[in-house]
This record gives sequence, structure tokens and C-alpha cells, in this order.
Amino acid sequence: MGSLELRNVTKVFGKTEIIKGIDLSVKDGEFVVFVGPSGCGKSTLLRMIAGLEDVTSGAVVLDGQDVTAVAPAKRGIAMVFQSYALYPHLTVRDNMGLALRQAGAPRSEIAQAVGRASAMLALDPYLERRPAELSGGQRQRVAIGRAIVRTPSLFLFDEPLSNLDAALRVATRIEIARLHRELGATMIYVTHDQVEAMTLADRIVVLRAGQVEQVGRPMELYNDPANTFVAGFIGSPRMNFLKGAALGESADTVGVRPEHLAISRQGNAIPGTVSHVEKLGGETLVYVRSEVHGLLTVRLFGEQDFSVDEAVQLTPEPPRSLRFDAAGRRLR
Amino acid sequence: MTARRPIRWHIAVFLAPAVLVYTAIMIVPLIGTLNLSLYRATETGPQFVGLGNFRTLFGDALWSDAFWNALGNNVWFFIIHMLVQNPIGILLAALLSSPRLRLAAFYRTAIFVPTVLSFVIVGFVWKLILSPLWGIAPSMLGAVGLKGLFAPWLGQEGSALTALALVSVWQFVGIPMMLIYAALLSIPDEVMEAAEMDGITGWSRFWKVQLPLILPSIGIISILTFVGNFNAFDLIYVAQGALAGPDFATDILGTFLYRTFFGFQLQIGDPNMGAAIATAMFLIILAGVCVYLFGIQTRLRRYQF
Ligand SMILES: Nc1ncnc2c1ncn2[C@@H]1O[C@H](COP(=O)(O)OP(=O)(O)OP(=O)(O)O)[C@@H](O)[C@H]1O
Ligand SMILES: [Mg+2]
Repeated sequence: MGSLELRNVTKVFGKTEIIKGIDLSVKDGEFVVFVGPSGCGKSTLLRMIAGLEDVTSGAVVLDGQDVTAVAPAKRGIAMVFQSYALYPHLTVRDNMGLALRQAGAPRSEIAQAVGRASAMLALDPYLERRPAELSGGQRQRVAIGRAIVRTPSLFLFDEPLSNLDAALRVATRIEIARLHRELGATMIYVTHDQVEAMTLADRIVVLRAGQVEQVGRPMELYNDPANTFVAGFIGSPRMNFLKGAALGESADTVGVRPEHLAISRQGNAIPGTVSHVEKLGGETLVYVRSEVHGLLTVRLFGEQDFSVDEAVQLTPEPPRSLRFDAAGRRLR
Repeated sequence: MTARRPIRWHIAVFLAPAVLVYTAIMIVPLIGTLNLSLYRATETGPQFVGLGNFRTLFGDALWSDAFWNALGNNVWFFIIHMLVQNPIGILLAALLSSPRLRLAAFYRTAIFVPTVLSFVIVGFVWKLILSPLWGIAPSMLGAVGLKGLFAPWLGQEGSALTALALVSVWQFVGIPMMLIYAALLSIPDEVMEAAEMDGITGWSRFWKVQLPLILPSIGIISILTFVGNFNAFDLIYVAQGALAGPDFATDILGTFLYRTFFGFQLQIGDPNMGAAIATAMFLIILAGVCVYLFGIQTRLRRYQF
């Protein structure tokens, strides 16, 4: 009902190729998150799926049907924009009902669909207001409601939470996860936020410069990244990259997550000096400058006392380190 | 104990230049005109007659017939602009804002160019084009086999005013087009894309999304058209002269005022009656603007995006 397949799609703006041949298949009901650095083409790819952007070559296939040349509204896809993009002159009720009204649905059916969506999103008290009279979070819920009302088989979200404050972001994130369970629809979601990606996704697609770097479940990407780019991109704070030669390893680079780096005041592993300490209550981040490896991050559980300029020794947990060759590819 | 607020002199100082200039070039002449309309020239100098000039203007059939004729013509002039110029302007803006249109910048400029032309040129050129003797309109219509449709439009009482109104529309259609175009561009792309996702495209997108969002601009255009039309003078004067022929068929308030105030051919100028007409025009425009400001504008919502 909501499966999607991209077959070698590319996008060229003028002379620059922005999307360089992407193959991807998304199963019905799956929650897929696109992540990648700014400008890598996440929004462009999403807009190509929606039909708002022409595909230069390749095919977009929905439920086994090639929709590459089909108009956006005919694809049965709903999109939620970062800026909400509500109709400013319509009330919340009309914002949500406009698509159905345009499609010629009977009044009772529209009222029912709007009622269901507004109940789901707790929008009932605001149905007669206009977007200007709502807070950012409420507007975003209306935008999501407008998408739900059309009962699409595929939802697209382009950084829907990035204009919200931290607390609201968490609340709306949980709401989106609940909606995904209740509606059972396929969702594709673009975000910059590590936590959103890790918590919402069934699968994460890591993009770089218009190409897919790796696709996998969040824990797969975290524990088993294919290259240094994915290893560095997934996980916060970022993975430490140590020089293999200095550790007596054959690999060019050894990646160690901050929580897999042990720190002690004596011993003779990797010497360094503490350059900064961040205490977050539940955990402590210690930044250690090493002569050989540069700045390394250590993540410790609970509250730990280290002072700046203190000399320390770091030891990677051998089974948890990842080995990469000179080109950044993973050595297994 | 509360400290007394000091008098804020700087507010007066900052306001002074604008107030002085505005008073000197707007308020004083306006009051002068109103004042002039209350006097009548006699051999012994100006004499105060109260509303006497207005009694003449509206009571004396010689004057009032001319006044109502000019006002009626002016209303028709305005109606043509509202029904032809503004819808065409909106339509052109909607076409220009379509992302698929090529050469949009060229069309925009081409349509706007007549607006910056002088009335003298426009009036003269159209007089030449429409001339039955040496104009190109008859032969152009002839070229497509429609020669029978041609008539000396500017010379017939029934069609002269409409023809001139359409010339004025041709000249000024660029203004509503530009204002609406700017209003359309200020609608965020994402709103239009959301409409596209909702299946609202083409004309229904215009009616359901764009038009409600540009209504405030349409209101502004209407009031600008109203003020412009009731102050119009130049085009009629250039094309038909101050007598606004044929047989006053194109006489509007502006030409009527001009003839009265300055005199024309055998008619001797009468500044006092001219001032009375100017005052009447001022009150008509004031009434129209008030209707707009208090009756219409307050009902048009401006939406922020
Ligand atoms: N209409 C366009 N014309 C030309 N280039 C474009 C156009 N739209 C996007 N680009 C380019 O395509 C690239 C990808 O843009 P896109 O918006 O998809 O990035 P993104 O991954 O969504 O970034 P962000 O995370 O900052 O939103 C950018 O380099 C951008 O400059
Ligand atoms: Mg983007």
C-alpha cells in the first residue's frame, strides 16, 4: 500500500549534479530517516519523491507503479514542510479539509476526517482559529493533521521539528512515533537531529553529496558503520579516529566511540592532557588532547572529577574499536 | 512621589520639517481653494457669498447639467477601469508569476512601459492610430477582414468616452499588474507547494489560495484607481481638447474644472466657480476614500506568513 522504490534517480540543477544516482527501496509501513550534512540533497530527494521537483533520470516507483511523470496530488503522498506552509487565510478546520473539498468529498466525510485528525493531534480547541493565532507547535500539528486527513499511504517530513524548542521537539517526536504506529503508513523523514533519527527510524539512510553512503537499522549504523563518514556522522559526541600506526595496528585509522575509551591517571597507553570537561549530570565528557591523535572525547558515566591540564592515559577497548583503511573504508 | 515627565521637545523637532513642507504645499493651497470658493469677484473686488457658488453650481441648470454630465462620465470612466484594467492586471500578474513562463521579465517590462510614457504621447499616438483618415487601425482591421467593424470611435458621442477609457487602461494596466505581481511573489513557495500536494492547481489554486491572499492589494489598487480616475484630466485634454468633445461626451470633472477655472475659447475663466468645482471634487474623493478606509479596508485581513 505504501511501498516506494527509487531506481537510479538523478537530479541535475543547471550543470551541477545534485543527486548522483540513488537506489532505495522502502517497504510498506516502514519509517525511513534521511540524514546527511547540510546541502547533501536530502530535501531535493524528498521533493523528487513528492513530485515537486522533476527527476532528471531514473524512476520513482510507488506500489509497483512508475509515478515519475505523475502530478504530486495524484501520487497519494502527503508532505509536511519545515515552515508548516499552512494556508494563512483559512481556519485550522479548513486548512485540514481543503484537499478533500478540492477532491469533491461529501461534507460529512470531510467533517469526519477532520474530526478524527484533530482528535488524534489534540487540536479540537483550535479548529476555528487561523494559523496566525497558533503557537509554533500547534501550527506544526495542524500541518501534520492536514497530511493525515488525506489518508495518504506515504508521508514525507522535511525537518518538521527544527523550528520548535527542545521540549516541544521531544513531545512532537513522540507524537510522530505514535502516529506512525497508529496509522501504519510509510514515512520518510529528513532530519539533522541525531536523536530524532535514532529513535524514530526503522532504517536510516546516510547521504553524502548526493549519494547513499549506507542504509541500515540505527544500531547497525552505530555499531557497524561501513566507512569513516558514517561512523563519524552517526553518534554524538562524534567517534574518535586514532592513527593506526601509532597503536601498532595494520589499519590506517582506528575508530573508537567516546564511551569505549577508558581513562585513567596512570599506565602507559595513550598519553594526553585534559583540555576541557563538560559535566552533564548523568554523564561527563572529557576532552583530551593527545600529541599523536589530536583532540579525543571520552564519555564517562555519572559525575567524574577531572581538571583541565591534568595528565591522563587513554585505553581503547579493543573489541569495540573499528578499523578503517586509508580511503576510509571499513576493514572487517 | 512621581517625577514630572519632561516635555519631549525632540518629537516636535523631528516632526517639524515634514509638517512644514506638507502644510506649505498641501494644506495651505487646499484651504486657499476652499476659501476661494466662498467668494465672488465683483467690480469692487472679491465679495463673500457663502455657499452661493455651490447654489449656482447645483441650482442653475446651465451649470448643474454640465456638472452631472461630467460626474456621470467620470463614474463610467472609473467603472471601465475597475472592470477592465484591474481584472486584466490581476490576470497578467497571475500569468507572470507562473514558474513555467519564459521571458517573464521581458513581458513585465513591455507591459509596464506605457505607464512611464507621457500622456501627450499616448493621447496623440492613439489619436493617430484610431484616425479614420490616416490611422492604421482601419487598415489593420482590413488586413484580417474585419474592416466593417471599424468606426471613428473617438469621434462618436456614444463610443468616445469608452474608447478613451480603454486607452487609459492600456496605458496604466502595468500598475495593478506590478502591485499584484509583488503580492503574489510574497506568498511563500512552500504554501504554493503545499497546495500542489493537496491537489489544488491551476485556476482553483488561484481562486482558493492566491486570490484571498492578495485581496488587500486589490483593495489598494481600487482606491488608487478611484483617486486617479476622479483626478484625471490629461488624457482627455490631449486627445479631445478642453471642450472634451464630441459635444462634451468625454467631459470629466478634471476638464470641466479646467474650462471653468482658466476659461477656454469664448468662455471666460471664473476662478471662484472653478474653486467651487474643485471643492466638490475634493469632497467626492474624500467620501470615496472614507468609504474605503472605514468600510472596506478594516474588513480586509492582511495575513502574515
Ligand atoms: N532550485 C535549485 N537550483 C539550483 N541548486 C539547487 C536548487 N535547490 C537545491 N539546490 C542545491 O542542491 C543541493 C542540495 O540541496 P538540498 O536542499 O537538497 O540540501 P539538504 O540536504 O536538504 O540541506 P539542508 O540540510 O541544509 O536542508 C544544495 O547544494 C543546493 O545548493
Ligand atoms: Mg533541506
